[in-house]
Amino acid sequence: MVKLRAWLCVLAICVSTESWAADGPQRSIRFEEIGMKAGVRVTHHTRKFHGKNADVLHMFTDGGAAVAVGDYDNDGFEDIFVTDSDAGKPNHLFHNNGDLTFTDVAEKAGVAGGNDPSSIVSDALWFDYDNDGKLDLLIARFGTPILYHNEGNGKFKDVTATSGLNKFGNTIAVIAFDYDNDGYLDVMFANYFKPVNLLELKDPHVLPNDLDNATNGGGVTLWHNTGKGTFEEVTDKAGFGKVTGWALDLGHGDFNNDGLQDVYIACDYGTDHIFLNNGNGTFREVTEKATGWDTKKGMNVDVADYDNDGWLDIYVTNITDEYMKECNMLWHNNGDGSFTDVSKETGTCETGWGWAAKFADFDNDGWLDLFVVNGLRSAGPDSYVPLILPVITTPGLDITDVNNWPDIGNRTWSGYQKKKLFRNLGNGTFKDVAADAGVANDLDGRGIGIADFDNDGRLDIVQTNADQPLLLYHNIIEKPGNWIELKLIGTKSNRDAIGARVKVEAGGLTLIREVDGGNGYAGQSTRRLHFGLGNVTRIEKIQIRWPSGATEIVVVPLNRVSYVEEGRGAVR
Amino acid sequence: MTNKTFSYLFAMLMLAATQLAPASDTDFQAGMKAIAANDFSNGLRYLELAVTGDPENIRYASEYRQASIRGKEFDRSLKFFEKAIADHPNSANLHLNFGFAYVDKIPVAGSITQVILANNALTEFSKAIELQPSWLAFYTRGESFLFWPKIFNRASLGVADLVKAIEIQKKGPRRSYHVKTFIALGDGYWKTDDLTKARAVWQEGLKEFPNNEQLKSRLALQGDQLKSTIEDQFDPSKRVDTDLRELWSN
Repeated sequence: MVKLRAWLCVLAICVSTESWAADGPQRSIRFEEIGMKAGVRVTHHTRKFHGKNADVLHMFTDGGAAVAVGDYDNDGFEDIFVTDSDAGKPNHLFHNNGDLTFTDVAEKAGVAGGNDPSSIVSDALWFDYDNDGKLDLLIARFGTPILYHNEGNGKFKDVTATSGLNKFGNTIAVIAFDYDNDGYLDVMFANYFKPVNLLELKDPHVLPNDLDNATNGGGVTLWHNTGKGTFEEVTDKAGFGKVTGWALDLGHGDFNNDGLQDVYIACDYGTDHIFLNNGNGTFREVTEKATGWDTKKGMNVDVADYDNDGWLDIYVTNITDEYMKECNMLWHNNGDGSFTDVSKETGTCETGWGWAAKFADFDNDGWLDLFVVNGLRSAGPDSYVPLILPVITTPGLDITDVNNWPDIGNRTWSGYQKKKLFRNLGNGTFKDVAADAGVANDLDGRGIGIADFDNDGRLDIVQTNADQPLLLYHNIIEKPGNWIELKLIGTKSNRDAIGARVKVEAGGLTLIREVDGGNGYAGQSTRRLHFGLGNVTRIEKIQIRWPSGATEIVVVPLNRVSYVEEGRGAVR
Repeated sequence: MTNKTFSYLFAMLMLAATQLAPASDTDFQAGMKAIAANDFSNGLRYLELAVTGDPENIRYASEYRQASIRGKEFDRSLKFFEKAIADHPNSANLHLNFGFAYVDKIPVAGSITQVILANNALTEFSKAIELQPSWLAFYTRGESFLFWPKIFNRASLGVADLVKAIEIQKKGPRRSYHVKTFIALGDGYWKTDDLTKARAVWQEGLKEFPNNEQLKSRLALQGDQLKSTIEDQFDPSKRVDTDLRELWSN
């Protein structure tokens, strides 16, 4: 009988009286930084410019330290792609050896390049654009993108020329999602500067025309996947042509629970935008009603249901420092088309000069925690900030002109900032536990990639840093709660199942997660959906809503990664 | 009564009315009445006429700004004072209120625009001091310097202005609003890391104004609690009370 009960529990259908961890003693989240030991301790390099405006252009383009997580060889272990940005510097493809060590195979795989004299690598994204079951790789650049097709033998082939993705842009972020639910993943780029080559600058008037309401950025571009290995630009047709801000990050998700993927665009130097999907290949902007216009410096978008109310919320980092008090925005989805910023109430408002932020359940208690990286430039003892004051306050000064900005030299600008790990207390508030958790480093963070790299049920973190070494935080929390992790495989839907929503009902809570295609600044996390379950061992229901519109109830075992194929249930 | 007689009598009545209440005051009263009825369009127009007619009247200018805040007409207010100053460049009152108009817009502005507005306000306050080095002008500019983050090193300039304001107020009759100078000067010393002087000034203020809760609170608090109280005072997202009503109420 004991054996039978154990077996039933493994199938996650045993009746139990256990409660969620949130109701019991709280587990302490703990991480160990293992970058060196794991073989991933590489240092990022921002692009160095040459000539008269070199220092200022360098200062305005110091992103590019990105991470993309994905199992490119389908061996069951998540691999890590890491970008570099300086001329000639290689990107890294860290193959997961399965024992928390990694081997850089970028050169061998053919994906190390991209930082040529006229292009700067800025972001990367794994996605299976041709639904062949193998993750392809898209490199975003200040320049034209590069699309690598996964040949399935550990090698990649550059197919950019035939893909149609050959338009120049100063792209800083990229996501993939199937906006028209035709079964093929489309691509959206966030473009920071307008499309001029900064490395061969002819006109120095390239900087923002207003530091709170800029309208001369690169906007966004949307590319429709034809299903034949090519993409066609549909930016205007889809309704995004009027976005002219300094788009810095993108997030997608079904914000209004209608089965369609909507979009949030975070813009630096001015208002963010929120677009709802009309379901006919077009979008409508609802910013005014949904969130209102803002003047902040949007840096990151992550989408998740942090309060388990069945509606996806949105977290946007901004800039909060001694000299600039913007506060982040945690947009609570009110379920009626409007969002309310609850960052102050939840304790997630102040994170310094914000960059990436990602929700994840690090302690498996069923409530999504939030890791935020920050810090612009940590250098010498003098600050750059006082030097900017005359630029900002001199009447009539053309701030778009690179020549009117002072060199930063070795000065610090919002540097040495401590990272934040907000533990979700399950009562609508968060508590910063970064120091106790061992993640309160003060590097100049940029991107975050979250995944369970050793398949032990505890989510780990990759943190990229500008001009500084990468960090890999191994989650070593003791006695974590129960969990399930689902890797969804679309058949009628796109193979990556991006946009699929899973609803788990257990222990009195209903958790929803969606597979995202690269939400969050400079970082793509695992596509596997992770559900912490605390002490709960009985799952009432797991329902999947596929992008195709099909719904499916599945049963999966506790405490292991399960593969679920559309229409076939758990297959592994 | 002939039309001629009526016209004569009407003209005499109008003349008398003009002598009883100057045009500016009439406009001011009409403006206040309209604002009370939430008629901002007419209210602001009348108040603008009042200020234009009597640019040195601090009450008119102050009430105009408060009405502009209520009507969210920040840009209109700025444009009005800009033009008024062009017409009356030597009016200390106009410069002071122009500075306040910049301050009034800060809470609704973006973070960088806030810096620009605050800097423009300082410029106007400085012109007001040049024209008329009054307690109000020194106190106002001194307090404004304290809003600037430490990194800009402006707190010491604020302390210097507030010391002058204290000197001026000591020479005249005591007014209830003079307590503000003690609070601000103490805050200025705190911001320049001189807690001893800060406490001494707050203590001195408390001797003159023994019931003031802000002074009591500052003297009772230490460390982070004191820091939080003072920083809260200088939070740029919160509206600064620029209503000058206290000046003519005391």
